[in-house]
Amino acid sequence: MSPNPKLFAVLLLLSASAFVIGCYRRFSLVALGRPEDRLDAPGTRFSRMLRLAFGQQRVLGKPFGMNHFVIFWSFIILAAANAEFLVSGLAPQVSLAALPVPLQHALLFLFDLVSMAALVCVLVAFARRLFFAEPSLSSDYVKARSPEAFLILSLIALLMLAYFGLHAARIAAGIEDPAAMPVSAFIAANLVAPLAIDPATLAVWSWWLHALALLSFLAYLPQSKHMHILTAIPNCFLAGLERPNTQPREEFTRGGRFGAGRVDEFTWKDLFDSFSCTECGRCQDACPAAGTGKSLNPRSVIHALKTNLLANGASLRAGDAPPQPLIAASETGAGAGEGSAAENAIWACTTCGACMSVCPVLIEHMPKIVKMRRHLVQMKASFPEELATFFENVEARSNPWGIAPTERTKWHANLQVRPFEQGKTEYLLYVGCAGAYDARQKQVTVALAAILDAAGVSWGTLGKDERCCGDSLRRLGNEYVFDRTARDNVSLLAERGVKKIVTQCPHCFSTLKNDYRQYGMDLDVMHHSELIAGLLASGQLELKQRVADLGRLLFHDSCYLGRHNDVYDAPRQALTAATGSAPAEFARNAERSFCCGAGGGRMWQEEQEGERINLNRVKEALQQEPDTICVSCPYCLTMMEDGLKDLQGGSVRVKDLAEVVVEGLRA
Amino acid sequence: MSEAKIGVKRPRGKARLIEGRCIACGGRCESACPVDAVEMSGSGEPEIVASKCIGCVKCVKVCPAQALEVVFTDEEKRILERLATESGADAEVDPEAQALADKLAAYRGVWVFVEQTEGEPARVSWELMGKGRELADTLGVPLSAVVVGSHVEELCYHSFCYGADQAYLVDEPVFRHYRTEAYLKAVCRLIENYKPEIVLMGATGLGRDLAGAVATVVGTGLTADCTGLGIDDRRNLMQTRPAFGGNIMATIMCDKFRPQMATVRPHVMPLPERVEGKSGPVIRVASGVVEEEILTKVLAVVSDRNKDHVDVAGAEFIVSGGRGMMGKENFVLLQELADELGGVVGASRSAVDAGWMPHERQVGQTGKTVRPKIYIACGISGAIQHLVGMQDSDLIIAINRDPDAPIFEVAHLGIIGDLFQVVPALTERLRNMKQKAPEDAICSNG
Amino acid sequence: MLVVVCIKQVPDTTQVQIDPVTNTLVREGIPFIVNPYDTHALEEALRLKDRFGFRVAAISMGPPNAEATLKKALALGVDEAILLSDRVFGGADTLATSRVLSEAIDRLNRQEQVGIVICGKQTIDGDTAQVGPGIATRLGYTQLTLVDRIEKFDPFQGRITVRRKLEGRHETVEAPLPVLLTVVRELNRPRYPTVPMRLESEQATVQVWSNQELQLDQNGIGLKGSPTWVSRIFSPQREKGEIVGDGAADPAGAAHLLVDKLVSRDLLVV
Repeated sequence: MSPNPKLFAVLLLLSASAFVIGCYRRFSLVALGRPEDRLDAPGTRFSRMLRLAFGQQRVLGKPFGMNHFVIFWSFIILAAANAEFLVSGLAPQVSLAALPVPLQHALLFLFDLVSMAALVCVLVAFARRLFFAEPSLSSDYVKARSPEAFLILSLIALLMLAYFGLHAARIAAGIEDPAAMPVSAFIAANLVAPLAIDPATLAVWSWWLHALALLSFLAYLPQSKHMHILTAIPNCFLAGLERPNTQPREEFTRGGRFGAGRVDEFTWKDLFDSFSCTECGRCQDACPAAGTGKSLNPRSVIHALKTNLLANGASLRAGDAPPQPLIAASETGAGAGEGSAAENAIWACTTCGACMSVCPVLIEHMPKIVKMRRHLVQMKASFPEELATFFENVEARSNPWGIAPTERTKWHANLQVRPFEQGKTEYLLYVGCAGAYDARQKQVTVALAAILDAAGVSWGTLGKDERCCGDSLRRLGNEYVFDRTARDNVSLLAERGVKKIVTQCPHCFSTLKNDYRQYGMDLDVMHHSELIAGLLASGQLELKQRVADLGRLLFHDSCYLGRHNDVYDAPRQALTAATGSAPAEFARNAERSFCCGAGGGRMWQEEQEGERINLNRVKEALQQEPDTICVSCPYCLTMMEDGLKDLQGGSVRVKDLAEVVVEGLRA
Repeated sequence: MSEAKIGVKRPRGKARLIEGRCIACGGRCESACPVDAVEMSGSGEPEIVASKCIGCVKCVKVCPAQALEVVFTDEEKRILERLATESGADAEVDPEAQALADKLAAYRGVWVFVEQTEGEPARVSWELMGKGRELADTLGVPLSAVVVGSHVEELCYHSFCYGADQAYLVDEPVFRHYRTEAYLKAVCRLIENYKPEIVLMGATGLGRDLAGAVATVVGTGLTADCTGLGIDDRRNLMQTRPAFGGNIMATIMCDKFRPQMATVRPHVMPLPERVEGKSGPVIRVASGVVEEEILTKVLAVVSDRNKDHVDVAGAEFIVSGGRGMMGKENFVLLQELADELGGVVGASRSAVDAGWMPHERQVGQTGKTVRPKIYIACGISGAIQHLVGMQDSDLIIAINRDPDAPIFEVAHLGIIGDLFQVVPALTERLRNMKQKAPEDAICSNG
Repeated sequence: MLVVVCIKQVPDTTQVQIDPVTNTLVREGIPFIVNPYDTHALEEALRLKDRFGFRVAAISMGPPNAEATLKKALALGVDEAILLSDRVFGGADTLATSRVLSEAIDRLNRQEQVGIVICGKQTIDGDTAQVGPGIATRLGYTQLTLVDRIEKFDPFQGRITVRRKLEGRHETVEAPLPVLLTVVRELNRPRYPTVPMRLESEQATVQVWSNQELQLDQNGIGLKGSPTWVSRIFSPQREKGEIVGDGAADPAGAAHLLVDKLVSRDLLVV
């Protein structure tokens, strides 16, 4: 079939070499990363890969997602057509023509339609980039990267056009059956014949055009963001199975290096992630920091990793120090640039996990940021000034404010705080630092205690022996102190014979439930919303009245309850049971919820860059005209109340869901 | 009866720790024990080795927390009872105690060190003069002012007006600026020559610098930051002071050494009434200090009054504003009040976040931790992140419209009301008072 | 040149309180911390080390478990840590404490010349601010207390210029070495230990000197060498918060009342 198998063989060799060298250059760099096991639970991994890679679950969640879905599947299907093209280009005797006619026709029919669909989708993609650019597509960064996108789209379009040219020519020449290929036949009938194009010439030109487009694409692929064609599917298989907020443990031995201050201090999977990025910008759109004008952009972090790896790869392989720093002190200072992440960007992350929940190829952005924080805190003791107080307070007094542990039991002036008694008490009420010390959150603790009592739940606390769970420590990268905190807490809980825990703070909840599992603790940990919803559903908690005087309720999802632990329904059920109707929803809700701004240790830092995240969220809340914003987290409570005061939200108030439910206990 | 007298030794019992009383003072009992019967546990509590204890009660006497006692077995108790009925205690005269009493008796009189900076007296010195007068009267001894400086004779006369009977004056050019070496020599020479039983100084930067050095040279006890001073029945000074960051109070004795030295923080003792026209003898003493011997040079003394840089962390008076200030322009109100007090303006995080105040003025978790004499919180609700930065202030005043604001839980004094009315009223009141008493600015000169 | 920094392990005083019922000190579970002012002294010593390459020795007098405090100093980068611990040192007041510390410094001075001794301005448990002056006086070093800035330091000329923070004023003072500085919080921001330093310090050893090494007369140290002693402890009377006047109805009246209260308590001077 090939017009010139020898010439084609040479070109194919060149293209394949470029492809192989390009791939080798990148994938061999991945091997510079630290080891990590990502092959456990293959069944789970496989089904997830089917759902997210082949099913394109997250891609479809966005406008134009269908477009990508079609292109993706076209590529898969046309891979067969192109394979045949390459093979028959070298050995013309091997081709589809060797197949039985019905099968041959069926395949040609499929390829023809799929090619048409792909062409349409490519044109739509062009139009989208030109005329319907979303915010994430209009940033300077994307503009700089756009020529590449257009080049790739053009190559695909060319490939499809050449395909039709080739087959239209063959139909016109009577070699192929027009019935098998409606689109090609249409072109043959309406373009080739009326314009009196010589089918033989068209066939040769089309063939070479197709060949060149295909070989160029192959050669260029490893250099471009379309590398994801190769990496996305395995990346979906290899992605972490842990909750997104659970960072890996570190071993603290002398002579070790902690965190990631150089690109080779990431794991191989982190590096593989950087080659899987499709630069789609979903993470950037979802990120509360990027969305409020901070330096952090999760996509840039991943891009920096890739650029840094490529720039430093040779030196690292030679065992030399990498010339390009991974972390730059500022965005403009020494070492700053495409291949580095700025310190203020690293500190801007709220660890809300929104980036990870939208990434179509399951890149793990947040753990990488935490690893860089670990390096800054543990190796360089370099962090925002305000955090020094926080770290000292937690280390010395096991709470963020440095208040005496003896004050922990003083959250209720009248109530005798009950101690947890092994074998007698069912639930340990893990009060949490905010619940024990913060005047506002203490009211929530009191409400929760009243609810538990009304339902006859047996509960007790650790009193002044309770310590900070270490959530902020870990998210801020102070893994060493977190490690000691976690060990102490795990052994304390074991020693006291705790089996079931209820928390009012999603951060305590997630840390106890997920992070401590790494320390061998596997207890039944519940967030109060889950327990309350259960008590209401089972009738164990009977309300004396419908809660009506809080007006229109608007529910705000906490990142650590919702996105990190998939608890979306319980708080809504509890509120529905208490008020008789479902709460109103934010425009961005449930897994798309927008952070309050305090997670990831942001609570203990200043927020000087850009718009304040809590104000952004409160503005969104006010659009729903609520009377009460209902939260399920102490951080959210503080941030929402502060935001409302700043925006002079009038009579709108903020309540924890326990405070809403407890209203129903009033006679 | 006679059997018991001959055959039974007086039982001495064994020392025992009273559960829960030990304050882990640092092992006084352990040090006092002559037979090494006291061992300290990891938590700093004594464990008494009964087999070694000889019941000498030295540890019991030395314990500041009365955490040790001597216990007797039932058998011993019976013997004791019997012995008690047999004879009254023999009054013993301890020759050691007599020698000590003689040594102490050589020291008489109460002194107050009159602190001055470039001739300007520190108010705390006059406050001490009032307390010193009281102590001197109790003891029946004269009260002396100690004035050291250059061209400071006038201060002797001020001292008389505040209650001193006499004054020791060291007036030489070498004392123009305070330098430890020079002042130390002068004061030590005075003590050596005139032997006072009590020396009081202000617990100021200067006073604490000097007192610590003097006590070391003289080899006597010094008690810092006393809030109460009294005399016990044996002419000893009882010095009461806060310890452990003010969480407990302790009464300190220095009964075997003289002079008994104490410093007192400003504003703790009331200022005595000044009685004009009083006088007394001025005893001029030459120091013997020559400039060449003094290695330290004071290059500059800069008053904080006129400096541009505002140091919230070190300020003695802070007027802070929060979200209730409603806007940047309203901080002028706080500045006016701060000016009257000689203080600075601080802010809560929300006020800083709103851009009303720069970050270096922020008080709280992510800002500065402050401990001023007076902290006035205006329109600050008292979020925990703010409270942790200011709750150790000596006096907290809250002005807020919301009576339920958490700030009132830590405030010593509060006004529930509109700060836009209350703050200007405070400023005006202070201004009026100042005009009535123009010679003395309203400020702390601690 | 050797820089000596004196640090003390203190109970975390925010956690010390008297049980209102039994009127005894509640001490259970109260952790020990490095005296906060001493962390600034330590930082300044380490900065001198960073700048001039001086060796830094940290010394502390206390019970054997005060070793933890010195380990923290090692984690931050001091070269040598010495714990002065002996039962005969126990029960010391400031006079006896400064005798032991100054003897230890003198002993260090015999090995390597001591140029600067740095102490925190006071400890948070005792709050006396007397040990620094005590050491300086005993050693005959120039005493510069309440330093909030080192203006100039010339190790070759052997002179130092510091700024002292006093009430309402700052004083710039120059003195020849050796000097003893006591420092305030404003001087610097203490560094945070890196994990490698922490791990390293776990291995590092703290030297322990008892009176065997110091050979001090037992009458001048510990309880026997302390002129002062505590005769009694009690709980301070907590001031209850008080609402002054009716600020809503009569703001000016409330303001007047407040000022009068402050004046009557001698908090404002008229």
